[in-house]
Amino acid sequence: MEVKIEKGPGAAAAKVTLQAGEVLTAESGAMIAMSDDLSVETTTHKKNSRGIMKAIKRAISGESFFMNHFTAGPQGGTVYLGSTLPGDMFTYELNGDKLIVQAGSYVGSAHDVNVEFNWQGFKSLFSGESAFWLGVSGKGTVILNSFGAIYSVEVDGDYIVDTGHIVAFQETLNFSIGTAGSSWINSYFGGEGLICRFRGKGTVWCQSHNDNAFGSALTPSLKTR
Amino acid sequence: MENTFEHYIEGRPDFALLTVKIPSGQTLKVEASAMATMDTNLKMKTKMKGGFGRLFTGESIFINDFTAENGAAEIKIAPSAPGDLIHYPLNGSETLYLQSSAFVASAPSVTVNSKWQGFKGFFSGAGLFLAQCTGSGDLWFNSFGGVIEIDVKDSYVVDTGNIVAFTGNLSYTVTRFGGYKSLFFSGEGLVCRFQGEGKVWIQTRKIGPLTSWAHPFRPEGKN
Amino acid sequence: MEINLTGKPAFTYVNVDLQPGETIIAEADAMASMAAGISILAKTNGGIIAGLVKKFVGGESFFVNHFTNNSNKVQRLVLTQPTPGDMKVMELNDQSYCLQGGSYIACTSGIKLGVKWAGFASLIGGEGLFKLQASGTGQLIFGAYGALIEKDVDGEYIVDTSHLVGYEPHMKLKTQLSGGIFSSFFGGEGLVTRVEGKGKIIIQSRSVSGLTAWLNRYF
Repeated sequence: MEVKIEKGPGAAAAKVTLQAGEVLTAESGAMIAMSDDLSVETTTHKKNSRGIMKAIKRAISGESFFMNHFTAGPQGGTVYLGSTLPGDMFTYELNGDKLIVQAGSYVGSAHDVNVEFNWQGFKSLFSGESAFWLGVSGKGTVILNSFGAIYSVEVDGDYIVDTGHIVAFQETLNFSIGTAGSSWINSYFGGEGLICRFRGKGTVWCQSHNDNAFGSALTPSLKTR
Repeated sequence: MENTFEHYIEGRPDFALLTVKIPSGQTLKVEASAMATMDTNLKMKTKMKGGFGRLFTGESIFINDFTAENGAAEIKIAPSAPGDLIHYPLNGSETLYLQSSAFVASAPSVTVNSKWQGFKGFFSGAGLFLAQCTGSGDLWFNSFGGVIEIDVKDSYVVDTGNIVAFTGNLSYTVTRFGGYKSLFFSGEGLVCRFQGEGKVWIQTRKIGPLTSWAHPFRPEGKN
Repeated sequence: MEINLTGKPAFTYVNVDLQPGETIIAEADAMASMAAGISILAKTNGGIIAGLVKKFVGGESFFVNHFTNNSNKVQRLVLTQPTPGDMKVMELNDQSYCLQGGSYIACTSGIKLGVKWAGFASLIGGEGLFKLQASGTGQLIFGAYGALIEKDVDGEYIVDTSHLVGYEPHMKLKTQLSGGIFSSFFGGEGLVTRVEGKGKIIIQSRSVSGLTAWLNRYF
């Protein structure tokens, strides 16, 4: 499976080229266009799997209930995948490692990649971003999107990221969610939301913009509901 | 009547802005509310164009005429949606179908007709209402997101919400994506199958999911 | 201090490299991520009264954050803005520049932010009575929704009000109808701003109100 990201960093779409018989798993609603001879199956998780519990967990996590599996015909095929908000996309080759991904950033993956709900318990309740995390592991390509440009930081020690700006990070990193500044007064009035302090060794992928901040900027002129 | 205009596009591919130089005495047709800046000697007149069909497209029913008086004038045109802008000069013998909200501007010699899509259009959510453009002259249209040009040779499938424009020699049918289960759960809704040889312009974003995303940010109405 | 804009033009963000002891002042909520050796201190934006006025008319937050590098190595701070779009770094040399509310992102400590009376016409135009004026010596970082385009005006020029980002303080702004009465209100252009004088203005190629008007049709 070959993935090419086009029109980044503002309006990225992923062009996935499949070999004959290859399967691409993608979030429901992500397909923009595809060549005609692909067959599509909508299921809860892995093709042919019966995982209703997994689907429910995924619905809670903010990812759509269902996933689409695109199987290429004998001539191979192409699928274009997009995302709801403008932004960038990137691919990561999993090789037995695991990434923790912000729900909403998952676009698609090769069929052998495991996508699991990863409950962070108490901590994520404070995130304010209603951010739930997915774990992606196994072997193969995973396609992620961001609201904004993506930049990666190689952490070796400590690093601080506003929680609305985290796209994904390697499982090897420890993290704690807290308030910015030296006192809670500072962060409440200073306007910084909750921040995440990463510690250890690993990569964090950040997005330059925060979709909640953008939505709030639109609120004054949106039609009332 | 002027068919072609001197112009340039900047801010591509995400926030494309079109600048057109209108010679003295000439007129340019511009989508209502798309004007960003203009020289003071441009006079604006509003007319109803395209008929009542446009009332239902969610599109404003007005196209404005901007005429340069006593000298040439420059106008900068900004579409509402973030995305790219394409310039397509029609050669008089071809037809271009545009998704209704994609029209930005055209020479007065281009005829823009809203074409009723009938039953099919209702379910797409994106409102697959098409405008039919014919005539000869400059035409500019915008995309929501990036725009990808596809050369169709046999057949190609596109989510209806992602269609920007396509050449008139293609035939198309609107169908469900996958089986019944897929209609409601796949999130894809309807797709359009193009057949023949021609060009389709697709955009990398859809309006439907964006409005769902924006909905929670709407202020509460007062009771 | 080194300021680098990147991610242009759709999702511009700023990499600020602070030397030990250096400080940059930024709009509350502008921080995307930063090295752990930088501290944040919230301060009022030019005093309580000015801060309150700015919040209610200028659209800027009541507070700004002072980011200081307390370590002994260079540390990087990443700043951003709420909307996608372009940004610009303007060098002011004992000069002033006026900005539309909401476009201010950050500045070095030699620049002071104040409010400037924009006239009643501005209120009718929907933009509020005051504009933000940045004065002093240093770097000013501001942004917009869309691409930023500079235009040299000599005489007069018409700008759709929601597309105007910045202008030189000596230029005059007047609100007027875009066409005749019928054309203005049904043509969708409504009221526009007429800029008079000689100077540089900055416009954005999209507007938040244009985006929400487009979205509102689908609700």
